[in-house]
Amino acid sequence: MIDQLGNGLLLGIIISVASVALSLLYGVTRIVNFAHGEIIALGAIVTLFLSGPVDSKILFLERFSPLGISFAVSAIIGVILCGVFGGLLELLLFRPLRKAEVGNIAVLVVTIGLSIFIRHLYLLFATGRVQNFPLDLERRQTYLFIEMTPRNFKVLIAGLIVMIIIGLFLTFTRIGKAMRAVRDSGELASVSGINSDNIILFTWISSSMLAGLAGIFQAIINDVRYNMGFLILLLIFAGTVLGGIGTSFGAMVGGLLIGIFVQVSVALPFMEGHTEAKNAVALAIMILILLFRPQGIFGQKERIS
Amino acid sequence: MSNSLIRVNNLKKSFGGLKAVDIDDLNFKSNELTSIIGPNGAGKTTLFDLISGFQEEDNGEIFYKDKNITKSQPYKIARLGMVRTFQLTKVFDRMTVLENLMFAGSSISNDSLLQSIMKLSKQKKYEELLQEEAINVMKDLNIEQMSSSYARELSGGQKKLLELGRSIIKKPDVLLLDEPLAGVNPKLAEDLLEIIQNLSNQGITILMVEHNIEAVMKISERVVVLAEGALIADGAPQEVRENQKVIEAYLGTGDE
Amino acid sequence: MKLSIKWLVTILITIFSIYLVFALNDEGPLRILFNLLTFAGIYGLAAIGLNVHFGLTGLLNFGHASFMGVGAYVTLLLIPHAAGREGEITESGLPFLLAVFIGVIAASLFGLLLGLPAIRLRGDYLAIVTIAAAEIFRLLVRDLESITGGVYGIINFSDSLQKYRPIFLENFVSNYELNPSQIWVGLLSWISILFVLLILRRLTNSPWGRALRAVREDEDAVRALGKNAVWLKLQSFMLGAGIAGLAGVFLAFNYGSLQTTTFVPLLTFYVWAIMILGGVGSLSGPIFGSIIFWVIISETDKLASLIFENANGQQLAGVRFVLVGLLIMILMIFRPSGLLGKKEELLLNVK
Repeated sequence: MIDQLGNGLLLGIIISVASVALSLLYGVTRIVNFAHGEIIALGAIVTLFLSGPVDSKILFLERFSPLGISFAVSAIIGVILCGVFGGLLELLLFRPLRKAEVGNIAVLVVTIGLSIFIRHLYLLFATGRVQNFPLDLERRQTYLFIEMTPRNFKVLIAGLIVMIIIGLFLTFTRIGKAMRAVRDSGELASVSGINSDNIILFTWISSSMLAGLAGIFQAIINDVRYNMGFLILLLIFAGTVLGGIGTSFGAMVGGLLIGIFVQVSVALPFMEGHTEAKNAVALAIMILILLFRPQGIFGQKERIS
Repeated sequence: MSNSLIRVNNLKKSFGGLKAVDIDDLNFKSNELTSIIGPNGAGKTTLFDLISGFQEEDNGEIFYKDKNITKSQPYKIARLGMVRTFQLTKVFDRMTVLENLMFAGSSISNDSLLQSIMKLSKQKKYEELLQEEAINVMKDLNIEQMSSSYARELSGGQKKLLELGRSIIKKPDVLLLDEPLAGVNPKLAEDLLEIIQNLSNQGITILMVEHNIEAVMKISERVVVLAEGALIADGAPQEVRENQKVIEAYLGTGDE
Repeated sequence: MKLSIKWLVTILITIFSIYLVFALNDEGPLRILFNLLTFAGIYGLAAIGLNVHFGLTGLLNFGHASFMGVGAYVTLLLIPHAAGREGEITESGLPFLLAVFIGVIAASLFGLLLGLPAIRLRGDYLAIVTIAAAEIFRLLVRDLESITGGVYGIINFSDSLQKYRPIFLENFVSNYELNPSQIWVGLLSWISILFVLLILRRLTNSPWGRALRAVREDEDAVRALGKNAVWLKLQSFMLGAGIAGLAGVFLAFNYGSLQTTTFVPLLTFYVWAIMILGGVGSLSGPIFGSIIFWVIISETDKLASLIFENANGQQLAGVRFVLVGLLIMILMIFRPSGLLGKKEELLLNVK
């Protein structure tokens, strides 16, 4: 079980970062974004494209050659591009929909269409095959009692630092406070002098950057594939729900717990020989939470029925 | 055991730390037109929600016709003859006015899947009668010209009328009206008041939450005043109007 | 008047789509047409079920694939089949119609189960719960290899249906080099559509249909009027799921083998696309939506293989999904009422 704890923490940190991003966006815009997974994948794909060795024709159709930039720089550009992408989505798609007073349900269906659309564009133009970042193989080491590679350990620490930064940002900066105000009041009226359109734009950008970062984490720990985001999307929903919809802190902890739970459950006696079903257990927990404690572990009691 | 139709005992409800309703004892007699007033956040709508089963109380009991309905589902309470309206009008937007009324008037067995598949002549006859009834209600409320309009095309006042019509088509014993005059133009408000008065005269017990004090004083037989969830006055309109506590808590604030 | 224009346009587009099949295919257009009409019948049937959920009752069901899956798996496991890695053969089985009946009922009951969360949850939460529940179903089916065949699936079950194939079909198809088993499945699915539509037309215009629409509009008001909104929603879930279960049975027989991968969320999204294209809340919308949708899909596949010469099969399938995603978005943004949906009854301002 200890073996699985390390894997659980790693999966947990991916889901956790992605859950915070999803929860921020939902809190401010009330959009359940099914295309969240595709932004996650974008972070990984862009980074792969920038950092891959120049002479390797690793990308589909052999039309594009990777640029061979240093990995760290690639990752930073990847995250920024995700932010730009999120901003464009808001400006070109979701803002016009909002101005046209399109209902939440319709917007939800639009995000599903968007998700299918983008995901398969990746399949066509980016990664038809499972691929890896151009990083050296590493030997596992023991940290306290948990074994993982030094690189994965750095990812874990980086993830935790990012969480702290988000927490500080939401608590102390003007725009962070404004985002929380919009989220808590559920109203998009101008709060503390900041134009609500700008708050939403900023939320899209920051949510997408976080999602991209989660994707890069996922790609470092596992690999890059076109549907990598969609594969963990439901787990991200589960993390968000478990912690309490609309609380960033809840999403952090919820995401981490779901990741740990999924991996550790493999080691449970009744799960022996049923590793395929590990995600099913996490999803079942999410459904039960929604039914019996809809505010999650940390959420305020909110009317959701 | 008593002549009270609705009895509220030691009823408590709070949200977070905020006390929304805290009432020791409150009775409503049959056939009376009672208004419940109080400043915003006094717990009037919450009291309605508790009585009609839309919210669960933290503590206390509610009786209707000496039957304990504290834990009853809203639809079961409605079936006992107590029907409510909502502060924010809830009409069925994308159904016609006629459909709104016919749905409200339709019986449980008429709505059943089985009857609807079999399509017996019994159902057809029932629907014909129902339609007549719905048309009568529309006539009474002066909205028969809107019969085949979608409900969302109605004006705010007409929606209030439709919601009222939906509530009375089944001839309930008790009507809980949550701000029936809110957002209604003065002319229509007059009409609505008259309709409510008529319903009361027909023997329907009416509880009404309303902010329009003039209207309340004009038609109510009894006025109950809530402030911060608690009962602070209860009596005939004139009494309440002169009650010092009420003037301080409510009228004194210059709120309307 | 307006109504008839909508219908005219829809029928013209449908005819044009079918014409396209002949225009774009020199070789065996009839075979392609019958192939896609079979898919159109099956998916159209599923979309009709979804329309009961969403169009009629406003239930945001994104677990439709699981209803189809339950119908298919239960039915196939009750008739002679071979399952799993070893292809373990089960020779005995229930009479075919009885097995289908039980399969449909099982799908219905699964609908009831999935409907239970709908008692408490509003729109977007229900969407998440239903899609998650459908995934749980799929993962469990994959995991329970000893019963369901797991990733190896179920094969050798087609005889139960094909032995009832009428002779005249044989004669008809032999002239055109068509696949008689597929045509038989397609024919049955279209007959089912007609049958289901007849029942649904009764129901939607009935007091029961009126009650479901009221639930769609405002549940609180329904309850305040003494109606059991929960039960109405559950009934809707069961009816729509049963229809989807039947579609699932046809889907399995059309493929001739049953795989867990068939029931991924994308299947649900296909059905959604068809429903939106045909018109949310429109009874016969899914028929036209489905035909047009499958013409688009089938021609896209061909186009894709021309454009992307060195693409593999998975990527070629990707082209159609790019289009499906785009279709859903564009329809939702520019024509949410689809071909035949009523503008006045659009589910757009639902919060």
